[in-house]
Amino acid sequence: MPIKSPFESSIAKPGQGKVVLSLLPPGNPSLSTLTYKYPLKLITRSPDFVPQSTLASASQPVHLYLLTYGGGLLPGDEIDVSIRLEPRTRLIVTTPQGSTKIFKTETGPGRTLSDQSRQALDVQIGRDAALCYLPDPSAPFKNSRYEQIQSFTVDSTAKDSTRSSLCVLDWVTQGRTSRGENWDFHLWKGKNEIWMPDETAPSNSPLNLETEATSKRRLKLLLRDSLILSDETNAQTDIGESDQPSKSLIRERTSPHGVIGTLILYGPVFESLSSFFVDRFTSLPRIGARNWSSSAPAAAESAPHSDSKVTYTAARVRAGCVLVKFGAEDFETARDWLGGILREEGSIAREFGEEALFCL
Amino acid sequence: MTVEPNVQDLQNEILDLEARLQNAKSRLTLVSAPQQAPEAASPRWEDLALSADSVLAPSHALLLLSDSALPLGSFAYSSGLESYIAHNKPLPRSITPVASLHRFLRLSLASMGSLSLPYVLAAYRNPTNLETFDNDLDASTPCPVAQRASVAQGRALLGVWERAFRGAYAASSPHLSRDVGAWKGASAIEAFSDALKSSTDDELGPKGHFAPLWGVVCLAMGMDARQTAYVFMLNHAKAVLSAAVRASVMGPYQAQSILASRDLQDILAERIDLGWQTAVEDAGQVVPSLDLWVGRHELLYSRIFNS
Repeated sequence: MPIKSPFESSIAKPGQGKVVLSLLPPGNPSLSTLTYKYPLKLITRSPDFVPQSTLASASQPVHLYLLTYGGGLLPGDEIDVSIRLEPRTRLIVTTPQGSTKIFKTETGPGRTLSDQSRQALDVQIGRDAALCYLPDPSAPFKNSRYEQIQSFTVDSTAKDSTRSSLCVLDWVTQGRTSRGENWDFHLWKGKNEIWMPDETAPSNSPLNLETEATSKRRLKLLLRDSLILSDETNAQTDIGESDQPSKSLIRERTSPHGVIGTLILYGPVFESLSSFFVDRFTSLPRIGARNWSSSAPAAAESAPHSDSKVTYTAARVRAGCVLVKFGAEDFETARDWLGGILREEGSIAREFGEEALFCL
Repeated sequence: MTVEPNVQDLQNEILDLEARLQNAKSRLTLVSAPQQAPEAASPRWEDLALSADSVLAPSHALLLLSDSALPLGSFAYSSGLESYIAHNKPLPRSITPVASLHRFLRLSLASMGSLSLPYVLAAYRNPTNLETFDNDLDASTPCPVAQRASVAQGRALLGVWERAFRGAYAASSPHLSRDVGAWKGASAIEAFSDALKSSTDDELGPKGHFAPLWGVVCLAMGMDARQTAYVFMLNHAKAVLSAAVRASVMGPYQAQSILASRDLQDILAERIDLGWQTAVEDAGQVVPSLDLWVGRHELLYSRIFNS
């Protein structure tokens, strides 16, 4: 491990933040690094909460608040947060400012498309450590451009109940509905990746990685969830605009939803929640389509239920990872549905405390 | 006596070399400037006649690979169409089933172009990384329904290669420079096939996804990159329309007229242009609703397609 520079915080670029959470014996969580620079602000708090966990390794969680000045991102803003969770630590991340507002990008003659805002989050999760990241949705304003890359590296040398755990929510709304915005932005790109050190490559301490470039080569992609909502004005502007106005492109592709989201669950801490979601999905009432003709009467609807307002899927994909994808009419419906399920199942409140569900 | 045939031979050779140079140049322009109209860049008829050998060989592969009788089992899947119909039922009076299908086809091709096509092209260009592409595409596939469809067709393609195409294409004239790519493609398939058969890791081992294998098989059969992408997208459009016919959305003539339409050709060209430069790291879903429809296919009370 390279020697830490004493000037590290002062040489950080704007928007950069770094957090290292470690556990001091016998079990006290401690932030060995916490740096950030405008327009990013990081605040931490150690809630007085003892996990009522079934796992012996459970430690007291630390709460990290992710803030930006103005509660959103202006064109050209770049946020770059890297977090390292040492073995057995637990971190809650929330956004206390409400939805992350993505302000619009001016495309005047003097400005270029690189004025889009970006957010990168890189989290290294050690063995027995857990991340619970349930933020507010991203709300891209009209004509905005935004890209976010969230990358999580788990410890693959740990097996079964000592694996890293993570719960990540990523959702995006149609914009400011009060101002009539309905998927009117230019670009919203969101990518969530889970990487694990490749077992076939020799590596003694997979979480002690030198640089981005050397580390990526030895990592294996476990999951990639990539969503691109683009009106395609960036490339090939002339094509396609004549027959269909590009403004409706994102709307057509998200229809009939006003909010789209993904919840990723991995590891032993979220195992019961994962099973809960998958069981709930597989026991949904069947969609009774017996007749293909559209003139036939619709199949009898099931009784009003929170699941009937939200269109979702839940599936166990690779290495026990559970991917929940949902679409709902509006933000409130999705929030109530998701918050309802997480509270009903209860394991997040037991493991991290009620405040992990702050945004829901 | 001996001079004249030599002159004749040399002239023939020069003509042949010129034709091959022309052919290589036109393929170069296709690769470097995909936005150009294919008609403008393709070899002229007189060149075609001169170099019948080198030009007709890929066309033969093209016809084989675009044949709907290619035993890949694509007919068993609806790519989410069946679920889409069920989720959009009943249709509002203002929308006809055919218009609704047009929308689905547009969305499905957009999604295919942004998520799978980059893997086709990447595998075509870097056949040695086939196993990584297979792993990354598997990691990017959000639900078991889509995964099963992709893996079943990919393994079927591998089977067709091994049982039918390999004999004709893997050993063909390695001394010609144009076959270096084909040779690389064929050896990449062999290596992948061995890895697939010897893999003990069901969870994270090689799977055999369709898109990257398609790229490599096309490479091994001497197709150019543009054709590889075009046939991939066209075959997908055919599969969706064939599913629409069997789901009684439209009749077979209507389906053929959509397939033949200028609109569809424009959409295919537009999607290929967009996917042409997309790195696999930037491949992603552009139609989030499609993931939901495909994933919820399992929930349908009655199904005529596999899920």
